Amino acid sequence: MIDTIKKNSLEFFNSKGLPSKKLENWKFTSSRNFKNFSEPLSNIQHSIDFEADELSLVFINGILDQDSLKKFKFAHLLEVQSLNTVESRKLLQCSENFLNESMFNLGISEFENGSYISFKKNSVIEEVINIKNYFLKDNENKRVSSFNIFHIGQGSEVSIIEQDFKEDYSILNLKLNKFICEDSSTFKYGKSFNDNSKTHSLSYSYYQLKKDVCLNIDSMVKCSFFNKEFIEVDLNETGSDAKINILNLGKENHHVDNNILINHNAEHCTSFQHVRNVLDNKSTAVFNGKVIVSEGAQQTDSNQSNKNLLLSLESNAFSNPQLEIYADDVSCGHGSTTGALDENSIFYLRARGIDRAAAQKILIKAFAKEVIDDFSLSSLQDISEIALDSWIDG
Amino acid sequence: MIKIDRLKASIDEKDILKGIDLEIPAGEVHVIMGRNGSGKSTLANVIAGNEAYEVDSGSISMNNNDITEMSIENRALEGIFLCFQYPVAIPGVGMAYFLRSALNAHRKYQGKEEMDALEFLNNAKKILSELGLDDSFLKRSINDGFSGGEKKKSEILQLLTINPKLAVLDETDSGLDVDALRTVAKGVNKFKNKNNSVLIITHYQRLLDYIKPDVVHLMIEGKIVKSGDMSLVEKVEKDGYSWLEN
Repeated sequence: MIDTIKKNSLEFFNSKGLPSKKLENWKFTSSRNFKNFSEPLSNIQHSIDFEADELSLVFINGILDQDSLKKFKFAHLLEVQSLNTVESRKLLQCSENFLNESMFNLGISEFENGSYISFKKNSVIEEVINIKNYFLKDNENKRVSSFNIFHIGQGSEVSIIEQDFKEDYSILNLKLNKFICEDSSTFKYGKSFNDNSKTHSLSYSYYQLKKDVCLNIDSMVKCSFFNKEFIEVDLNETGSDAKINILNLGKENHHVDNNILINHNAEHCTSFQHVRNVLDNKSTAVFNGKVIVSEGAQQTDSNQSNKNLLLSLESNAFSNPQLEIYADDVSCGHGSTTGALDENSIFYLRARGIDRAAAQKILIKAFAKEVIDDFSLSSLQDISEIALDSWIDG
Repeated sequence: MIKIDRLKASIDEKDILKGIDLEIPAGEVHVIMGRNGSGKSTLANVIAGNEAYEVDSGSISMNNNDITEMSIENRALEGIFLCFQYPVAIPGVGMAYFLRSALNAHRKYQGKEEMDALEFLNNAKKILSELGLDDSFLKRSINDGFSGGEKKKSEILQLLTINPKLAVLDETDSGLDVDALRTVAKGVNKFKNKNNSVLIITHYQRLLDYIKPDVVHLMIEGKIVKSGDMSLVEKVEKDGYSWLEN
């Protein structure tokens, strides 16, 4: 079954090829460098030294490490099965947009040993679970495709912080994730990526929310040479809430691209997107954010905001916030700003004896920290603030 | 204290200050009044070193030290404090962090040890109480979501925390109700002593009912055309400025 899916996906990719800039979602992001990663990951398993503790789930090249699962404190609340045993309909039940993406199909055709990780009904875990991603150096300059599905059971409360651990070598990290949040579940998903290599990260994350779900997606990406992330959230039943807070810090030639689609398919749901980019040198950021309020999704409350702080004349931000509303009793707002540090604010701080460089740092931190302060996980706030400080001082 | 000598300044090649002479000794309160557009706020900004303005000629010195070419922050560290007419809001920067950073920048410049957080908080709370402000003021972002009155009180809080040598109040009284005006005046009166100076820029007499000036200057088209005592304020309240043009 899985072989057929992979075969079909590969055929799809071969027919479409690498995404071109003619596609709306790729207009400001070039896939040209993907050619440098022409081979997929070799299937040979190597040992790797990693830190596993009872609160961590370790993924090596995107594959769940069974030893870390054994040590995992909450293993009794999990049901884990191989994606090879999941029926195809369930496997690919996700965004139509993703299914039409050639790179998503490439990922489907190449992933190995994906896992379906299910948190049992009413699993209330107060501690934050760490997902640690390790990558083998043997796969330098190769494509590492992975696909994992997380299922948050009814009434469960789960918090995860995901971090990559990798030395200074480059891969194309093609990551596909699907998250299913059952009724009355709370899922807090934080990411902190800090990568100084030439790694290209391309991820597709699909979130399917049922009734009365509370979802938080918090992310900070620092020093990523190339990071393009597709996030799609389906609010399929009433009473759910999805909040997305993203902070990207770019220097040199870094490129970050957030492509977010929120589908309000049911009444009384709320969504919030807040993406901020701080861009120095020749770095670039792209924001494609879209909210679609379907007919009948009354009492939707949605807000979308993208703010870009340009610290150099050569940095660039492309912002495209969009709303499509087909219901008549909704509250939706969106906005986008792009600009340099405010000279009046710098003058104000300097007039109090704070030198220009320090004033600039204070203002950069203030701009970025407004997103960090909205992160739902305090431990992610701490990690992010330390990373922000070192980025500003660096 | 401060001595301004034949100061000419412009912005976007438009001459604003056309030869200002002004000297404020320590322990004195001076007032500058004038019509809109006469150059009062430009003078305040030029004293503070706002780089939007070009000093074309003349000089400014503090305690016989020429500061005409000095950076904004170094002037502040030398003791110049501008109470802004329109204080900017800076979301995300907490008042406590900002005040402590500013205070410690001054202490460092003066060769003193930085003030620790606890001592700073105790001092700040004392000032807040005197200004009738709640301690929660320190947790808010700089001027973010502040009312007009709160913004001006925030300026006075900064003035009393930093305790500079010269306070330049640029229309600090504008837009204040009577209670806020009294609070601001109380703060300025608490600040002033024989070792520091105050320059008040205003359109109205009402602030001067609470802060008694030693010298009043009247400004017309970028020049100080008359100096005197409080009687000048009363004459301006009664007759305006046209009599100065005769």
